[in-house]
Amino acid sequence: MLEVSRKITVAVDAMGGDYAPEEIVKGAILAAQKSDVEIALVGPMEILQGELAKYKFVHDLPIRCVEANEVIGESESPAVAVRRKTNSSIAIAAKLVKSGEADALVGAGSSGAVAVSAIQFIGMLEGMDRPAIGASFGNFAPNVVLMDFGANVDCKPHHLLSFAIAGSVYAKKLLNIANPTVGLLSTGVEEGKGNELVREAYPLLKNSGLNFIGSIEGNDILSGRANVIVCDGFVGNVVIKFSETIADHALEWIKRRLRKYPPLRSVATLLFRRMIPMTKMSYEAEDAGGGVLWGVDGVVRVAHGSCRAPQIAHAILSARNAVKADIVGCLKSGLTESKKEGNSLRRYSYVR
Amino acid sequence: MSVEEQIKDIIARIVHVDKAILSREGTFKDIQADSLDVVQAMVAIEETFDIEIPDEEAQEFQNLGDLVDYVEGRVSGKEKV
Repeated sequence: MLEVSRKITVAVDAMGGDYAPEEIVKGAILAAQKSDVEIALVGPMEILQGELAKYKFVHDLPIRCVEANEVIGESESPAVAVRRKTNSSIAIAAKLVKSGEADALVGAGSSGAVAVSAIQFIGMLEGMDRPAIGASFGNFAPNVVLMDFGANVDCKPHHLLSFAIAGSVYAKKLLNIANPTVGLLSTGVEEGKGNELVREAYPLLKNSGLNFIGSIEGNDILSGRANVIVCDGFVGNVVIKFSETIADHALEWIKRRLRKYPPLRSVATLLFRRMIPMTKMSYEAEDAGGGVLWGVDGVVRVAHGSCRAPQIAHAILSARNAVKADIVGCLKSGLTESKKEGNSLRRYSYVR
Repeated sequence: MSVEEQIKDIIARIVHVDKAILSREGTFKDIQADSLDVVQAMVAIEETFDIEIPDEEAQEFQNLGDLVDYVEGRVSGKEKV
């Protein structure tokens, strides 16, 4: 763990997210009330002050506002918008991390815009080609981490290798798995199965020096056979969002099936909520929603666009914990070790 | 090493292509670079040459040659100053 004696500052893009700025500001207030974190709210000053003015007790909280007079919309191309709108709220928040004025960034806007801002203004770690959003499946599959679940909808084979290396570091350092197994998410376990991306990535992973166990199918995602599941962000995003809703739908199904037996229905509902880990996973997802962007030279926490205040507060506290856990330092040392072991991405290039 | 060679090195490293296939007439599209590849390449070029390339100007580049000429112009301008 990193020794951090001072308060950790989290820069929050107040304008990103479906319910911005109201829920983002409210979430920042909740986080500041719950913990010793300092918050830099980034957005148009007039809007931020207007939101904060809704709360009487806010003056006692360690929240400051940082002016950013532009906003990037969900419909804009992230790569173009971030480079053009250098005073956007997400860009300014990323610059605060780069300059050291903030220790971490939380963004609930377009994942692409968060990723591009991180690349552009914070920078990538040596040895990582692309940032990837990585997260575990919580208590339901505590030894499984999936990368990427949304930062890169279109990937190339070497990106998947990059995710595998980062995922292995995640599993070693944060899940304490000595030699994590790596699986490539596909439509079959055979080497020739899957789409072009998967088929081209397979030999890279096979020859990477990582503990690659081959392709795995969807029915093995939660089994723990692979500690690190590698896929592109398009597939990962669908998987994670689908899995987050299973419990709620299963519970509704049980309620419907037992509607004629109210006592049994109540007991079943109670049991389901308390006992079934998937339900817990679902509730954890509700609390969390998102993950850390691995590969950039700073702590960046991506939150779902649909997050409301409690989830934003959770994301802020999770970013603070990531700073304390020194995840960037862990990945740096992991990449150095990986390079020594010969798992360098630089050995690979396309011959077109 | 010339500006052109340095830029080719950066692009080859980021997009994972053989440097030999990069030509002044070629485009990012030709080497199947996506938008994040382009962002990463531009950031690396800006850092290497300590310049900023405004997006409005970057949009005008038709090919690698235009990018090289632009960077060479900016670098020589800095040297004169």
